[in-house]
Amino acid sequence: MSLSFKTQLFAVFYVALTAIFIFFMVSDQYRSLSQQNLAALETFLIQQKQQELKNYTEIAMASVDSIYASSAKDDPMKQKQVADILSTLIYDGDDGYFFVYHEDGTSVVHPTEPYRVGQNFLDLRGQNGEPTIQILIENAKNGGDYYRYFWNQPSTEQITEKISYSRFFPKWKWMLGTGVYLDSVNEQLQTIQNAIDQQVDSTRLTILIITLSAIFLIFGFGIVVNFTQKKETEEKIHALDQKIIHIQEEEQRHISRELHDGIVQMLVSIKYSLEATGLVLKQKAIEKPEPLAKAEKNLVNTIGEIRRISYHLHPTILDELGLSDAMEQLGIEFSERTGIAIHINKPALRKLLPDPINTTLYRVVQESLVNIEKHSHATLATIDLEVKDDWLTLTICDNGIGNTNIKKEGQSSHKGIGIRNLAERIEYHNGVFNIDAGADGTTVTAKIPKSAFVNHYNRQQSHQRRSINE
Amino acid sequence: MNKTIKVMLVDDHPMVQDGLSSCLSFYDDIEIVGVVNDGNNALSEAIEKQPDVVLMDISMPSLNGLDATEILKETLPQTRVLIFSMHDSKEFVSTAMRVGASGYVLKDTHSEEVYHAIKTVASGNSYFSSSVAKALMDSPNEQVDNRLTTREQVILGHIAGGKSSKEIANSLCISTRTVDAHRRNIKSKLEIDNLAELVRYAIDNGLVAE
Repeated sequence: MSLSFKTQLFAVFYVALTAIFIFFMVSDQYRSLSQQNLAALETFLIQQKQQELKNYTEIAMASVDSIYASSAKDDPMKQKQVADILSTLIYDGDDGYFFVYHEDGTSVVHPTEPYRVGQNFLDLRGQNGEPTIQILIENAKNGGDYYRYFWNQPSTEQITEKISYSRFFPKWKWMLGTGVYLDSVNEQLQTIQNAIDQQVDSTRLTILIITLSAIFLIFGFGIVVNFTQKKETEEKIHALDQKIIHIQEEEQRHISRELHDGIVQMLVSIKYSLEATGLVLKQKAIEKPEPLAKAEKNLVNTIGEIRRISYHLHPTILDELGLSDAMEQLGIEFSERTGIAIHINKPALRKLLPDPINTTLYRVVQESLVNIEKHSHATLATIDLEVKDDWLTLTICDNGIGNTNIKKEGQSSHKGIGIRNLAERIEYHNGVFNIDAGADGTTVTAKIPKSAFVNHYNRQQSHQRRSINE
Repeated sequence: MNKTIKVMLVDDHPMVQDGLSSCLSFYDDIEIVGVVNDGNNALSEAIEKQPDVVLMDISMPSLNGLDATEILKETLPQTRVLIFSMHDSKEFVSTAMRVGASGYVLKDTHSEEVYHAIKTVASGNSYFSSSVAKALMDSPNEQVDNRLTTREQVILGHIAGGKSSKEIANSLCISTRTVDAHRRNIKSKLEIDNLAELVRYAIDNGLVAE
């Protein structure tokens, strides 16, 4: 795993963590804020309802006040009259009605549930276990107050939270009450709660989208960076490959030169010393001893062997005479060895190329000839080298069977350098490498742009002149 | 033939020079007048010593034997050059002939044959080691060779650089006539007959920058 991938993961982790934190914080803030607001709103709405109740009650009391004021302590006639009036006072649909209970808990007025009238409900207890009627009576006796409890709602036939206000008729020991059901308030609050929840959800969604896009962005960026890095790495590896090849070629050239110009020359000098010894003996009229003659002969063989090794490491002719002569030598050897006729076209100028290009093109010729010999069944091969239209073009073609496996062969060949390797070497010099294997033979083309070698010969010459003058 | 042949050895390896000198010293009609170790020294030494035959190695530092031969023949056309090299391939031999060498012997030939080669070359004939001659015979590929020699290529570079024959002559320390001779040879080899085309040719082939 590359360092950049780790960094990427860390960034994603960090973004995700931040997002989760913001997500929960926003949710929490929203919730507490909405709870505060809702509570305030609820208080306000309830207060409104309470004021309403108080007003309704005042109206109801005012409507029966003349009868009550003129009545005695116990006046069933007037009580009946008041009960009838109160029964007819309905507001707010079916849910706004007045009820009356006697101090002892007997229901006197109950327009929506008339069956209750006459029955005693002093010990009636609500959902929370409180004695509902007792509390209402107590509130009434204390000069009027509010009480929240649960009661059957006429319009929906359901047990609903209700708030009631009650007042006391001391003469008759009556408790007059009326209440509103809080379902509308709760509905209103619920609507607001829903609106808030929706807002929270949409905020959460926004956070999620931002987070996801941030993560995608990080990954996308990572991919681009990785891709660029990979490309850079590949280029570096490529350059390193070429450097290794270059060093290898240089090393081979060096050893080849050491052998040819060092060891071989020493052996030649030894050979002449042996010959001189022979001449000395001859002067003294002594016949040349056989071991001496044998040594001379062996020495010549040894020189030949070392020269062969040197040539295979790096042909001196490439440095001394240039590419075209070197490839001609290759061609002649090839023709002698294989019996395949060869035709070579050389340019009029020579030594135009810098050493690395020179060696690379020489290896192209070498490898191509090996392939022709091994696979082509050709009878004629042509090597063509020319500078034209700003390109130096080397073409090696044969009239063989056009081996389409040549690329694979080049790759797997252990002895040869490999065609693929050569293609890379040519491309390294900004050149173009191509193999065209058809039914009428194979053509290998290696092209080097003129810009890669222009003026090289002239520079080399002036460099030589300078070193001579020094 | 009674006259002693003045021979100069050009070889960058002192041990080879020693070995060959000691062999040739057994022959009375050969006198070794100079021993130098590279092409450049060979040029100055040859002017001073005026040898009849120069025994010239090819692979040497800075100026190689073939290029040295070409330059030597410009100033000392009467001096005979016998290439004395380890290289036995045809391209070296044909190049040697093109630059004006009179013979070619391999370093692993017997000293007696070297002696014989020196005598032959000094008498105005050519001499090639048998293996070298065989290499030349084996490849009838030798059409009219239109390839430029090193000297011709250098002069083409100067021409393309805009120099006149006189300037070229001065910079190469040769006569204007020699430069003009090279010029003619270049034109005939490249089958070009005017200066503009010559310059274009040098540019097109990457010899000089545009």
